[in-house]
Amino acid sequence: MHSMNRKKPSAGKGVSYAKWGYLFILPFFIAYICFTLIPQLMTFYNSLFENYRDGLTQVGPNFVGLKNYVKLFSPDNSGTIGMLKYFGNTIVLWLLGAVPQILVALLLAVFFTSYRLNLKGQQFFKTVIYMPNLIMAAAFSMLFFTLFSPVGPVNQVLLSAGWIDKSIDFLALKVPVRLLISLMNFLMWFGNTTILLMAGIQGIDQSMFEAAEIDGASSLQVFFRVTLPLLAPILVYTIITAMIGGLQMFDVPQILTNAKGTPDRTSMTMVMYLNNYLQTSKNYGMAGAVSVVLFIVSAGLSLFVYNSLSRQYSQAPRRRNRL
Amino acid sequence: MKKLIALLLALVMVFALCACGATAPAEKPAEGTPAEGTPAEGTPAEGTPAEGTPAENTPAEAESGEGKVFNIYAWNEEFKGFFEKYYTVPEGVTVNWVITPSDNGAYQQKLDEALLNQANAADDDKVDMFLAEADYILKYVNADATQDITKLGVTDFSNTYAYTVQAASDPDGVVKGVSFQCCPSALIYRRSIAEDVLGTSDPAEVQALLDSWDKFNAVAADAKEKGYYMTASFAETYRVFSNNCTSPWVDADSNLQFDPQIEAWIAQTEDFVNNGYTLTAGVWDQEKNDQMFADGKTMCFFGPAWYFNFCMGNAQDPDKGCSGDWAICEGPAAHFWGGTWLLAPAGTDNPTMLADIMNTFINNEEVCSKLVSDEKQFSNNQKVNAKFAEDPNYGSAFLGGQNDVAVFSAMTDNIVWENHTIYDQLLNEGLQTYLQEYFKGTVDKETALKNFYNYVNETYPAIVTP
Repeated sequence: MHSMNRKKPSAGKGVSYAKWGYLFILPFFIAYICFTLIPQLMTFYNSLFENYRDGLTQVGPNFVGLKNYVKLFSPDNSGTIGMLKYFGNTIVLWLLGAVPQILVALLLAVFFTSYRLNLKGQQFFKTVIYMPNLIMAAAFSMLFFTLFSPVGPVNQVLLSAGWIDKSIDFLALKVPVRLLISLMNFLMWFGNTTILLMAGIQGIDQSMFEAAEIDGASSLQVFFRVTLPLLAPILVYTIITAMIGGLQMFDVPQILTNAKGTPDRTSMTMVMYLNNYLQTSKNYGMAGAVSVVLFIVSAGLSLFVYNSLSRQYSQAPRRRNRL
Repeated sequence: MKKLIALLLALVMVFALCACGATAPAEKPAEGTPAEGTPAEGTPAEGTPAEGTPAENTPAEAESGEGKVFNIYAWNEEFKGFFEKYYTVPEGVTVNWVITPSDNGAYQQKLDEALLNQANAADDDKVDMFLAEADYILKYVNADATQDITKLGVTDFSNTYAYTVQAASDPDGVVKGVSFQCCPSALIYRRSIAEDVLGTSDPAEVQALLDSWDKFNAVAADAKEKGYYMTASFAETYRVFSNNCTSPWVDADSNLQFDPQIEAWIAQTEDFVNNGYTLTAGVWDQEKNDQMFADGKTMCFFGPAWYFNFCMGNAQDPDKGCSGDWAICEGPAAHFWGGTWLLAPAGTDNPTMLADIMNTFINNEEVCSKLVSDEKQFSNNQKVNAKFAEDPNYGSAFLGGQNDVAVFSAMTDNIVWENHTIYDQLLNEGLQTYLQEYFKGTVDKETALKNFYNYVNETYPAIVTP
């Protein structure tokens, strides 16, 4: 394309459209440099300093090298490395929500796009499953907090049904809290994922499905041999964005556990941990170090997922040829 | 359906615009008024007869050279209500309230930003007065962000309670603010339960039976035997202990330390929880509040005037409550809870009005009387409080006619203000949060303390934890 464009002006007639192309994408790059690249570099720079507020007194910034990182990864007196624990929490919370989210979304997307099922009232269903995403995460968390409190409706129902004889403090137990957080994230995001995947499936040439059917493929075969391989690019995109969103999980656990990550800090995510440093003492050094680690982890995991899934995708056509 | 979605989205956008626009109008009057009212005498002359009220005119005249917008930072609407009722704002001045809830230190963050930016802020954006609670007042009093109010004209502290002045004084004794209320905290008990457990509901007799921790703990066992809880929250007695600490949270080298009083609270709560003398709810939890209904099983609560008048709504509920079945006495140890101080920020452009507000709320007997009689506050004016304490006709219906002002007046002498640090609020909050997990049985004590230390490290890098 470029070479073609460059040749044309030399012929003396055509106009260089490439120049306009660059001009049109310029605003994005300016915005990217100002609002993403520079802050990112500044975060790294800040993470090398001791810089916080003690009451109303500013301490630093004093250059301390990698001391903040060393502190981040040094175990406390019981041998736990906080950073790793909170990273583990984040991954567990994300997986508990994201795996069902993608599976359900995939299933719904296939149902909605299937010309054989030809569901009526699709617009209605699509709107409804997207609805939870329109509610503020904070409001959603407060709702669940109230529902599952020791004197909340859930306990009252269980008590009056006679299933339990003493109210359960759900929010003081590790498994229920984690499940609740995952459930909320699932409810909030599966609609969004469904719509993305539907767009992906609708982008696949209908004749593929028809051809498979004529060849006598069962629905399952169509799904695994036709839909899934052709959907792979969108699926990879969905998984990576969900993963980055999941690693940055904050609002739901923050509100549900009142910023404390209870019980025993097992629902404290990486960003909540970061926020602990930033909130009261404006500790830019430590918060910067956590951000940099978070960035490296996100980038690494994204690359890993992208590579492993794309490879599968590039193998897929070959497999189909063998059919 | 598409139309419906479009309508919904449009509504959301309109709402968002409205929400953003709401703050704007506050600034407008400020621009409008100076044009009309700049000459000092111009404005008051219109309404009032020329000779009549020289005393009232003085503050307004003095104001003319000062800022037109008076910014007050607060964390709730409580003082705003009193201010709007009892303080006459000089003409030409607009009062702008900046209210941020105090949860997780959000109010302090907002306030800190404003105070640190005070020197560069435009006159109309400067903080002119801010409110602070006992738990973090030192952070501001000990900093240069606040100024000496005696230089502004607030000099008469003869009627205020000593601890309220100590709290607002820096280490050199410079006073930087006043409190409009005094908050001695009492033992609030259910008369009917006390009758059952102790055989009496008379405040003096109950006090004699509960005036030390040993007696209190022993009575807890009796209460349990009769099917009652002594307290409804694991942290109910926290303030009673923590206000009597003999050492601050951090020592001179910034090491975190546990005062024997805090250790005693932990030991007592362990005992109470293990024996079922208390519920494990937090101080503000629904589970505790439900105990305030008539069918509640809890005998003792702790709190000042504001607590039983404004936070025990369930007890005051006309259907399920039990107003009148309550009484107060000093309890095992003198203590206070909360209290709102009005502090003078350095660099305010309305010093005269600021001093005038402070004087009104501590020395204007008419206003202080109304705070007691109409607003159910325990005012920070000893003379006014004494008047109500001696009045045989004064009594609180909620407390079955008991004169609460008399009880509180007697308690104030025993309150001490010492061993406080700038970190108190979040250390008290954090300790309670993480130990609650231990008391609920989720984690062992060691883990709970470790989590508390991690929390301290993250929140205050300057503090060294064990």
